[in-house]
Amino acid sequence: MTANSPSVFLLMINGQIEGANFPEYDDLYCKYCFVYGHDWAPTSGLEEGISQITSKGRDSPHRLVWNFPLEITFKSTNPLGWPQIVVSVYGPDTFGNDVVRGYGATHIPITPGQHTRTIPMFVPESTSRLQKFTSWLLGRRPEFTDPKVVAQGEGREVTRVSSQGFVTLSFNIVTKDTKRLGYDTTATETTHTHPVAAGFGPGNQTLSM
Amino acid sequence: MAELHIIGQIVGASGFPQNSLFCKWGIHTGGAWRLLSGLKEGQTQVDLPSTGDMAYWSHPIDIHYTTKGLQGWPKLHLQVWHQDSFGRCELYGYGYCHVPSSPGHHHVSCVTWRPLGSWQEQIAQTFVGGGPQLRSPDLIYSGADRYRLHTVAMGTVELELGIIMRHFDRYGVES
Repeated sequence: MTANSPSVFLLMINGQIEGANFPEYDDLYCKYCFVYGHDWAPTSGLEEGISQITSKGRDSPHRLVWNFPLEITFKSTNPLGWPQIVVSVYGPDTFGNDVVRGYGATHIPITPGQHTRTIPMFVPESTSRLQKFTSWLLGRRPEFTDPKVVAQGEGREVTRVSSQGFVTLSFNIVTKDTKRLGYDTTATETTHTHPVAAGFGPGNQTLSM
Repeated sequence: MAELHIIGQIVGASGFPQNSLFCKWGIHTGGAWRLLSGLKEGQTQVDLPSTGDMAYWSHPIDIHYTTKGLQGWPKLHLQVWHQDSFGRCELYGYGYCHVPSSPGHHHVSCVTWRPLGSWQEQIAQTFVGGGPQLRSPDLIYSGADRYRLHTVAMGTVELELGIIMRHFDRYGVES
């Protein structure tokens, strides 16, 4: 039976980009994409997406809501390069041009279950005050040529950014065959791998193999 | 051989006198550990928060170690620096924390400290900045010669770390 010795494990992500908290900006939309290592490949679902444009409500003046679905499944042979989601938020400036309001990234949670993450969003800073003024005037703010840079650790030491807002995401994670390949993503006190300890442990432990 | 994956980020820092900060980080392990892939040191971006006090870096960490023994469990050491509007860098704190040793997701708050000089150096520091720094970063995570140091408390660095362990149970290790 090939199911006895799997060579890949699966990671299924069902979630949403719930919304954002940007005190100074309104009428925002977001784009997301997934960044992952060489050993990972998406098997189903969408890797990128653009949300609707949302405005702040009257009753909750700081919250912007997208409720934007995320559904994707990855397969991999190695946890290295665990997928990250990169979110970029855009909105209009005073002249009506579309400018970037924030980039943010976070790793997909590694344990099965329900998780909520609030990630900070930041924009690159202009190098001088003159450039800041001209970019405000012309509507061409500094932005990253490829938003996936936000998910990498190299080359970040030369960037200056300003953080200005948060995005809330929620995930429901299901994994398949990570235990069969030997990977522990939860502490062993919740698993039943030592039948000898069953007599000494809490009453709800069962003898299983 | 057992394997350890560290997957997470250095989220940010708060509680420092100024908030235009960046962080240099590294991971130190004992002799039994071997780095298979990933970067074991780096430097984050410089963040100037426009709202609030916390500087956010969201710097990803994705490292794969293999090990023959439990000694020398990985330690993450940090140096928090301040960059002012003229581009000068000033040390704001040293800190270290052990990488969590149980699988799962962990939120780690790492406290930081800064060496305190003599009272003349402290006065100069309030006017000109700068201040004493450690000659070698080993002292951040070792206890060997700490008794010579006089330090002052600085802010906190927040990290979110996910730990995946493989084959540790084959060697009878419970975590």
